[in-house]
Amino acid sequence: MKIFSGSANKPLAQKLATSFNLQLSETEIHVFPDGEKRVRILDTVVDEACIVLQPTSPPVEANYMELFFIVDAIKRSGASQIIVVMPYVGYQRQDHVFRSGEAVSLDVVIKTLEANGASAFLAFDFHSIKTIELFKIPVVHVSALPLFADVIQKEGWANEESVLVSPDMGGIRRIKLISEILLGMPYVAIEKNRDLATGSVAAEIIHGAIEEKKRAFIVDDMISSGKTINVAARLLEQKGIEEIFVFATHPVFSDDAPEILEKSNAKKIFVTDTIAIPKEKQFPKLTVISIADEVAKQVRSTLS
Amino acid sequence: MTNQDVNEDFVLLTGTSNPPLAKEIGTLLKTEVFEPISIFSDGEIRVKIPHNMRRRHVYIIQPTSGPVNNHIMELLLMIDAAKRGSASEVIAILPYFGYSRQDRKEVARVPISASLIASAIEHAGADRILTVDIHSEQQEGFVRIPWDNLYGSYSLIPVLKEKNLSNLIVASPDKGGMKRATGYARLLGASGLALVYKERDIDITNASEALGMMGDVRDKDVLLVDDMIDTGGTLINAAGYLKKNGARNIIAAVTHGLFSGSALEKISNSIIEEFFVTDTIMQRVDVVKNKKVTIVPIAQLIAEAISRTETGESISHDLIL
Repeated sequence: MKIFSGSANKPLAQKLATSFNLQLSETEIHVFPDGEKRVRILDTVVDEACIVLQPTSPPVEANYMELFFIVDAIKRSGASQIIVVMPYVGYQRQDHVFRSGEAVSLDVVIKTLEANGASAFLAFDFHSIKTIELFKIPVVHVSALPLFADVIQKEGWANEESVLVSPDMGGIRRIKLISEILLGMPYVAIEKNRDLATGSVAAEIIHGAIEEKKRAFIVDDMISSGKTINVAARLLEQKGIEEIFVFATHPVFSDDAPEILEKSNAKKIFVTDTIAIPKEKQFPKLTVISIADEVAKQVRSTLS
Repeated sequence: MTNQDVNEDFVLLTGTSNPPLAKEIGTLLKTEVFEPISIFSDGEIRVKIPHNMRRRHVYIIQPTSGPVNNHIMELLLMIDAAKRGSASEVIAILPYFGYSRQDRKEVARVPISASLIASAIEHAGADRILTVDIHSEQQEGFVRIPWDNLYGSYSLIPVLKEKNLSNLIVASPDKGGMKRATGYARLLGASGLALVYKERDIDITNASEALGMMGDVRDKDVLLVDDMIDTGGTLINAAGYLKKNGARNIIAAVTHGLFSGSALEKISNSIIEEFFVTDTIMQRVDVVKNKKVTIVPIAQLIAEAISRTETGESISHDLIL
């Protein structure tokens, strides 16, 4: 088996290789003066199973294109199978036609991968569970929720003072899952209302009981602007919650999200390394949990 | 639009890479051009085509120049949206085809990137591809759908003819461009051909300087022709070498103007006296304003190709010179 990586998240690929006691196979990526990329893999791959790791976080287009080229190079070099490990999947929110005249962007990139060599796909915490239906090749859909439940248990927070919180009504499925792992920890959901004129989030109603709770865990699939989290945390504090922790799988962190999160009244923000976080976007309240061992485990069971 | 002259038999779309070209084509075909691209707040590209496409041919005009990855993705998403909007035929028009130089495995374990892109276009749902001066015409075989390749010479030749060039030699700045140079020589009635080639094998340490040539350019005016100008190195080195070998005036005609890095500055300072380039790629203001550079419109060629695709007339008969 060989493990390759695009340029989107090399540290995670390195960890994954270590989990397998392998060296990360080298990929040369040359950028020409006109902006075109030239990819070259250096290891031979004839009759080998290959893993290509590349989350398609921003810059989404460049990361997808790089992945297409790496997969094409490996396929043409004779690999027996190619498992695309895309912990974070760009374009996943455009997974159906919301309004006529739109594209299903996710379908376009999936078809390109399927037509050019990808034989299996691994992703973490899709925004919608229906996303899997767009694939023809096998999909391993992994959740980071067990990793978050681990943290809650190890910190000794799994007690009657705690409550799980979904920051919007769409996250109910997720919050039920982690509640199950935590042996039925109670959960609530915030009904998020958007101001249609400004687009800003104004949280209002909490569905469920949080009286007599001191500690709240906000759980979400991703953090983009950080505004949803910020508004939810403020609301929880108003309702008498003393300690607020945030758990989100994908640290997309657009714009000034790190600043908003650091200034928020959440005590700690737990995310995973599905997306590499550059130094300038790291902040004191942030804790990153690695998915590398979980990916290794899933890949092993996919291959055997 | 209420104008009765407006043609509604087919739909024209443009991405963000060259809207002025698309609009010029729209004007020639008396058809509105739609711009369906916008950006989501997280930076992802969004497509929404604001027009009925049912049972219509949809032409998508998008040269995949830089930022190449974004422009390719825009194109793929527009194809998908058109297909899902029940277009009867989706025609991807790439006046410039990005990644077309990565058309073979020149070393082991590399992708054939141009093939990957063509495959993505096909799988997104395109029924037909139209290009201008694709880097190598064998690329048409990368897909199973029809692929028509037109030549920029259709637009460049009339402009060059106006210059009444006599005693002219047409030169190619590399071995791969000889076929193109031959075509230009025939169409311009040139008195001969020349070829400048790299002697990489002889002096590896100083490859760009090690040139050789075939043909006689002494006291002749020379037209250098190429499919594209990127950083300008090849073209300018070739011009210098021709000059050293006795060429009189040197002008250049190129279909695709990428003008990467300091290409424009290099041309300004070079011995090339005039530089003709089409607008398959939308040109920066500094290129348009440059005194040596003449931008030759390509819209007529593409509009004619679209109109013949609609009527079923032959494209090769007199469009491909």
